[in-house]
Amino acid sequence: MSARRAWTGRGLRRERWHGYFFLAIPLLYLAGVVLLPLLEAVRSSTFRIRGLRATFVGLDNYARVLGDAAFWNALSVSFRFTAISVVLHLALGLGLAMLVAECGRTRTALRIALLTPWMVAPAIAATIWLWLLEPQFGVLNWLLRAAGLIAENRSWLGEPGLAFGAIVAVDVWRGVPFMMLLLGAGLATIPKEQYEAAAIDGAGALARFRHVTLPNLSYLLAVACTLDIINTVRQFDIVAVLTGGGPAGATEVLPALLYNTAFRGNDLGGGAAVGVLLLMIVLAFVSLYIALTGAARSDD
Amino acid sequence: MIETTRRHMSKITGALAVTVLAGGLLAAPARAEPVTLQWQTANLTEPQFEPVWKQMIAEFEAANPDIHIEPILVARKDDWTKFVTAAQARRAPCVVQEDLATSAYNGYLMPLDRFWATEPAAFRAAYSDDIMAAMHWKGALYGVPIWGGVFAEIYNTDMLTAAGLDAAHPPTTIAEYLDWMRKLTKPGQWGTAVLGGPTDTTTRVLLTWIWANGGEAFNADMTKATFAADPKSLEAIKTYLGLVGQGLAAPSPNTTNYLEQTVLFEQGKIAAVRSAYWAIAKMLVDNPSLAGRMTVGPVPGNGATLALLAPASIASSCKYPDQAWKFIKFQAEKKWALERARVSDWMPLRNDMMDEPEIAQDPLLQRFMQIGLQARSYPLPHPAWAEIGGVDVVKAVQRALLDPAHTEQIFRDLDALLNKKLNDL
Repeated sequence: MSARRAWTGRGLRRERWHGYFFLAIPLLYLAGVVLLPLLEAVRSSTFRIRGLRATFVGLDNYARVLGDAAFWNALSVSFRFTAISVVLHLALGLGLAMLVAECGRTRTALRIALLTPWMVAPAIAATIWLWLLEPQFGVLNWLLRAAGLIAENRSWLGEPGLAFGAIVAVDVWRGVPFMMLLLGAGLATIPKEQYEAAAIDGAGALARFRHVTLPNLSYLLAVACTLDIINTVRQFDIVAVLTGGGPAGATEVLPALLYNTAFRGNDLGGGAAVGVLLLMIVLAFVSLYIALTGAARSDD
Repeated sequence: MIETTRRHMSKITGALAVTVLAGGLLAAPARAEPVTLQWQTANLTEPQFEPVWKQMIAEFEAANPDIHIEPILVARKDDWTKFVTAAQARRAPCVVQEDLATSAYNGYLMPLDRFWATEPAAFRAAYSDDIMAAMHWKGALYGVPIWGGVFAEIYNTDMLTAAGLDAAHPPTTIAEYLDWMRKLTKPGQWGTAVLGGPTDTTTRVLLTWIWANGGEAFNADMTKATFAADPKSLEAIKTYLGLVGQGLAAPSPNTTNYLEQTVLFEQGKIAAVRSAYWAIAKMLVDNPSLAGRMTVGPVPGNGATLALLAPASIASSCKYPDQAWKFIKFQAEKKWALERARVSDWMPLRNDMMDEPEIAQDPLLQRFMQIGLQARSYPLPHPAWAEIGGVDVVKAVQRALLDPAHTEQIFRDLDALLNKKLNDL
């Protein structure tokens, strides 16, 4: 049997089956941990669940959730939280990446030090911040008062505007290092010659950033932005620990609404409906990400 | 060929026989493995209670070698979520301590009447009818009372003396109470704290104010909410939440709960807390110098207050209900009730313990018990209570604290929301 025949005949079939076999293992795993729970969530969203009793209600949970002001409030909070956080992640991440890139011997040490917040588990980081922001005994109030910046202690997590600002600040504190790492890797790929040529042409620092750095990073920035939106819109840990969605819903992002509806509100069907709606939002951004990366592959 | 096959067959048969025999011997253990019962209550994570529950498990297992108790340690705020998740999967811990009406309505608990009926009359008579009524849902028994906590006003006597107030005669009317709070407030120190944090403790304290003012938050059969509809209730809400606006309560009420409130008290930032007896144990653990420097007064008003009842129940998915019942009865014994009162200030609910020296000679406990004569049981008996008490009322309190000018409208909206929920089962 010729080699060509082996590949087109029985040999190829055997290769294919081996491929299918090895592919089946991760597919089965994904089906078990992703697809089945997802289908169960979609199924649950069509039932009115009261404890161990469940009644099929079709799309009633969706109608109820969409007719509830709490959902639209959570959507608005999620939108603002995600937009502000992602912009700050990107801006500060890029700024830090450029600063670190300029450092000589200290670059690695600085990078590790700046990555520390990202290495801490979100719930633990949030618990630390909970005490830093504590109104009576927290370090932040003490520092600000000592510096003469505030006259009285502020309730960082008890007033709507401050609480929203606090969850954004903590999320940015945690999210910037990863963005710095990602964009730092992108910066390293930009040919030095481009900067040298721009400098010879008389371009200043701002012009070099605008005409060399940004165009070279545009694809990476778009991908990083999309990935960050997907991550940030699902943020739960920080909000759950710091505010639980309060005060009076001021920080209730969609994942917090999901949790509060399903568990604190004892409405698992309603919670599942919120989860499915959140999934649709995330899927929209995943599609954008796939479109972006797919287009880049086509260009290659 | 045939002979060879026969020899092989006889060898195989012999080997099989030996294997079966050996397997049979191995499969017959000397004694059965003990049954493992999981036990979940949020209190297992409280440090002062830890030595007691460990000792309790050790003594129970020594007396019942066929039962092994596996404690499930879970943070207080995650207790309900963990229980619901496990109950949904029909794998809830066998012995639990949860909101009785909500859990029973949802089918998470097992009726206990068949066990209760077979117990001696002396055991059944150890609990008052009122307490036992709170252990029932739709006529069936779902819990055995283990401990309770009466809400009262706890004062720092040093701060009272410094303000020229008589610790032996705490205020009994709301007007007197407000006067005391004014005298106890000075720069960096407040009379008390208003609770608006995101747990149902916010609701518990609000209810004490409403009831002590002669108001009602719900009608008798809990089909209608009257937070704003009842003038006495609305008046109490405005008075209580108004303490913040008057500067008589510590700032940042929307993040203040049991934990934050006790810390403020322990550090001398506030002079009074409305809490249950167990707060005293926690405050003494955190700040031992408070020993002998606290006094207890009634809830100002008509004296009506709230008593939290903690029952032990059996999850409906429990495979070993007989063993679980044994453990519940063991927990309910006098010895452990006394230990719980000693280390955690959880009040015994058995009425055959009042003459025990540890109880009769504890003036603070006696005071709480006296105040508790006018207490109403909590959680309120409605299947949606976990949601109402833990979410809806808390949100209304937070909104009213942020926008005091619209307190009445906010609680009217709450009434409207709850009227739907109370009747939507």
